Formats: sequence, structure tokens, C-alpha cells
Amino acid sequence: MTASTTAEVMFPRPKKRIRGRQIAILVFLGMVALFFCVPLYVMVVTSFKPMDQIREGAIFSLPRIWTLEAWRFAWFEACSGLTCNGLRGGFWNSLRILVPSLVASISLSAVTGYALALWNVRWAGSFLFLLFLCAFVPFQIIMYPIIIITVKLQLFGSIWGVALVHTVLAMPVLTLIFRNYYKDIPADIIKAAMMDSGSFWRIFLEVILPMSGNILIVILILQITSIWNDFLVGVTFGGVGAQPMTVNLANMVTVSTGTVSYNVNMAAALLTAIPPLVIYFVLGKFFVQGIAAGAIKG
Amino acid sequence: MRWSRISPQIALAPAVTVTAVGFIGSILWTIYVSFTRSRRVPEYGIDFTNPLRQYRRLFDDTGWNIALSNLIILAIGSAVAIVIGFLLAALLERERRGEDFFRTVFLYPLAVSLIVTGVAWRWIFNPSLGLQSFLEGLGITGVNINWLADGRTAMYAIILASVWQSSGFYMALMLAGLKGINTEIWSAARIDGASLWRVYLEIIIPMMRFTFLTCAILLSLGVIKAYDIIVAMTNGGPGQSTWLPAYFTITAMSAKGNLGFASAAAVMMLLITLVVFLPLVLLTVLQQRVAARGGVA
Repeated sequence: MTASTTAEVMFPRPKKRIRGRQIAILVFLGMVALFFCVPLYVMVVTSFKPMDQIREGAIFSLPRIWTLEAWRFAWFEACSGLTCNGLRGGFWNSLRILVPSLVASISLSAVTGYALALWNVRWAGSFLFLLFLCAFVPFQIIMYPIIIITVKLQLFGSIWGVALVHTVLAMPVLTLIFRNYYKDIPADIIKAAMMDSGSFWRIFLEVILPMSGNILIVILILQITSIWNDFLVGVTFGGVGAQPMTVNLANMVTVSTGTVSYNVNMAAALLTAIPPLVIYFVLGKFFVQGIAAGAIKG
Repeated sequence: MRWSRISPQIALAPAVTVTAVGFIGSILWTIYVSFTRSRRVPEYGIDFTNPLRQYRRLFDDTGWNIALSNLIILAIGSAVAIVIGFLLAALLERERRGEDFFRTVFLYPLAVSLIVTGVAWRWIFNPSLGLQSFLEGLGITGVNINWLADGRTAMYAIILASVWQSSGFYMALMLAGLKGINTEIWSAARIDGASLWRVYLEIIIPMMRFTFLTCAILLSLGVIKAYDIIVAMTNGGPGQSTWLPAYFTITAMSAKGNLGFASAAAVMMLLITLVVFLPLVLLTVLQQRVAARGGVA
């Protein structure tokens, strides 16, 4: 008797007991899920309430009158520091930071991972170990020298400076992920390609890149969410002119003087969260793969 | 054939430059500066009569000592996230119905910036309009959850937000670990008549020790890097009560005239990271050995 048939014999238990346990598990999971949703729920309902209703203090109640006024104000008029142009500026900055960061970090890491995985580079092993160490270095220890470098390159306080720093910081982890993906490509394919053309770049563009769809989506999503959600790099290297949306939001909700408009704060926070949330809910499976790969060295 | 040797080296040049300048060079520079008297701008002369001055200043600093003890408090408190993560993963693994739905809910905090969710948490902790007033409206008085206003309780609020944010992540790692366990073990345990609890405590959890260790190390690394959550929830306050090393170092760096001092703090952060990181390297080696022996990792 094999183990699987043993399991089939052993597992049919009285049906009633199983149902009870299943319901208990589902109820418990449902309650935890409700707790997880509390902050999001509170943000959504508060952002649609007028301030009059907020002052009554019922944090969980639905808006009596649903109004988009707070959203409009957060986008066009809310003050962040000395300027009162809403979150628009930060949104466009984030977008302008995102695109070059994605292109630079993904192409750099993909090519590096490809070269290390499939070409005979003698020092590949020690370089990979070095990258593994770099992936865990705290940002603070390299922060000041990188500030000096970006100032010298006249990139400090610009979109390009922020994008450059994102590229540098992401390079070790992304390279390790790409390398781990490429090293499993069968050697025969590479050998055939080498016989055919033998060119490093042609093999990358014509053979490897078309095979990378899966890993590219995972990394794209990992990078979009982490760059969009970044605060530290943006606040350090963005200066005044290139602040991403998160920095804009933080200024808006912490430094606002006078009466605090909670509905505007919530609307502003949700506006900042919408792009990564949409990506997460649409492409969640890839997101999970990405964080798992990014966390455990790929 | 010559090009096949040179092209890869050329392609690797940017990555090597980034590693050499951005990481290794920058780390060495910061370590060096931490031994100098640098104040507003870097100074490159080391005063050999007292090269450790910045480190002495650092350990005499109240803020740094608060930051260190908060680091330990946050690490212990956040460990709850690993327990919750395992619990959720075990339940989801037993009851597969709705797995996708629950996983989506438990993981969404990770997709959003802590700067965003911090706004929500501060609002929930708001004493006159938040959860407190909701409870009072229900007639529950005498519960004080105005945690953010009091230096003695502010860390609890940060721990709560951090557990909420990261539990889903550990759940995902645990779920992957649980799915790797051979189902035959379940039937074998059933034949022995072992209860569910005992199977988990005595078989499953020991088998997943590597997953747990990985989670613990990732959690420690995350705690060392924790910065956004402080900015979003307390900005270090009240007073200095919620300072953490990452926050301390950035604050010292942006304050003028503190470059050497801030560098010393950054070097200490690197050392703490190394202490946590070393077991990870050992773990990887161990895991490979166990895998080579044919055991279950």
C-alpha cells in the first residue's frame, strides 16, 4: 500500500467535524482580514466626508454626503511646505523619476546578470558574493559619499540624480535575481547560439531577452512599487525641484499649519497609494514572486 | 573568439564601477571619515591622539542610546509578525478555500508606502476623532489608546503598524515553506494518531526551522533599516522617544556640522547589520549541506 492511498484511507473523517473546523478557520481568517482592511477603509471613508462630519468623531461611519472636494483640494491646492499646488507636482515628479530609473536599473542588472550567468568570466563567483553583501548594506553608510558624487556630477536635486541613485541601490539585488534566472537556461541553447553568431549582444537581444518575459514582469512590478513608494532617496536627493509624491505627501500632512483637514490628508495619501495598489490588485501574483525573490537574494 | 572574452568584460564594466565606487568606495570613505574630526565639511586628517572621539561622543549621546534600546524593542515587538505570519499560513494551507482572496488582503499593506499608511495610523490614534472617541461613543471609557502622544507608549503604536505591514510578507514566506513539506508526513503523523497541535509543534515547525531563521534575519535587517515608519508616524517624537539608529543617522547627517559623528553612527549601523548578516551566510552554507544530504530544508 503506497503512502497516498494510506492518506486516502486515513483522511475521510466524520464530515460534520470537518465542516465545523473549516467554518471556524474561515471566520477567524475573515476577522483578521477585516482588521487588515481597517486603515484602508478609514482612509477611504474619511476622504469622502466633509470636515463637519469628521469633527463629530465617528471614525468608522460612512459619509452622509459623499463629496470629492477633499480629493480635488489635495490634487490642486493643498500646501506642501511653501507652495500650494497640491500633489500634482509630486505625481509628475514620481512618474519622471520612475521611467528612467526603471530603464536604467533593469537594463544594467539584466545585462550584468546575463554576463555573469552565461559567459565565462573568471571572477564571476567573487563578484556575485560581493553583490550579495552589497544588497544588505544600510543606505546610511553610503549616503554622504553618494551625495558628494551627485553634487560633483551636477545631478543633485534633479530627476536624473534621484534616478541614478535608485539604479545604484537596486543593482545588486536585481543582478542576483537575473543571474539566478539565467543560470538555469540550458547550456545547449547557449552553445547553439554561440555557434550561430557568437556575439555577446546579439545572443542577449535575440535569444535571452525573448526568454525573459516572466522575470521581467516580476522585476518590473517589484521596481515600480519600490521606486514609487520610496521616501528616503527622494527626500535626500530630490532637493526642492525633484521631490517625489511621497515626500510631497509627507510635507503636506506633517507641516500643515492651522486647522488640519483630515479628509484632505486622507485623499492625498490615497492618491499616492493608487498607482501601486492598482498594480498590486491587477498583477498580485507577480508582486508576491517579486518580494520573495527580492527578499531572499533571489 | 577573442570578442567572446572581451565583450562580457565590457558589459560588466558599469556594474563593477557601481560596486567599486557606489558601495565599496563609499563605505570605506564613511569609515575613514568616522575617525576624523569632520564637522561641516569632510576633513581628512586623523587625530591619532584621539581617533575614536566620534564613537565616544556617539555612545555618550542620549539620543543614540534611546535609538539602540528602541531597536531591540522594535525587533522583539515585530517578531509577533512572524508568529502571525505562520499562523495565517498554516490556516490558509489547511483551508485552501479563499486562499487567493486572503493572501491578497494580507499582503496589500506591503504594496503601499509606509508614508501613506502612517497617515492612516496617526488618524486612527487621534485621541479626539479616532478610535478612542469611537470606543467612548460605544460607552467604553478608561481605555487609553492615545499612544502616540506619550513617549512611553509611542513605540507600541509603531510596533502595531509594523506588524500590520509585515505579517503578510512572513505569511507568504511561510506558505512557500509549508507547501514544500511532503504531504506523506501528514499521513504518517495521522497513522500515529498524533493530534494536530503536536504535529505542528513537534514535526512541522522543526522542519521549517530554516524558514523561521530566514524570517528572523529578514526581520532584523528590516528593523535596522526602519526609517519611513518613524517619519510617517512620530517624526521621532514625542521628544526623542521613538528614535531608531536609521533615523538617528539621517538626522545627524542632515544637521550641519555633524559629519564625523553621523559617519560613526552609520558605521555602527553597518556593524549591527554584519552581526545579523553573518548567521545568514552560515545559514546558506548549512542549508546547502542539508540539501546535499537529502534532508528537507
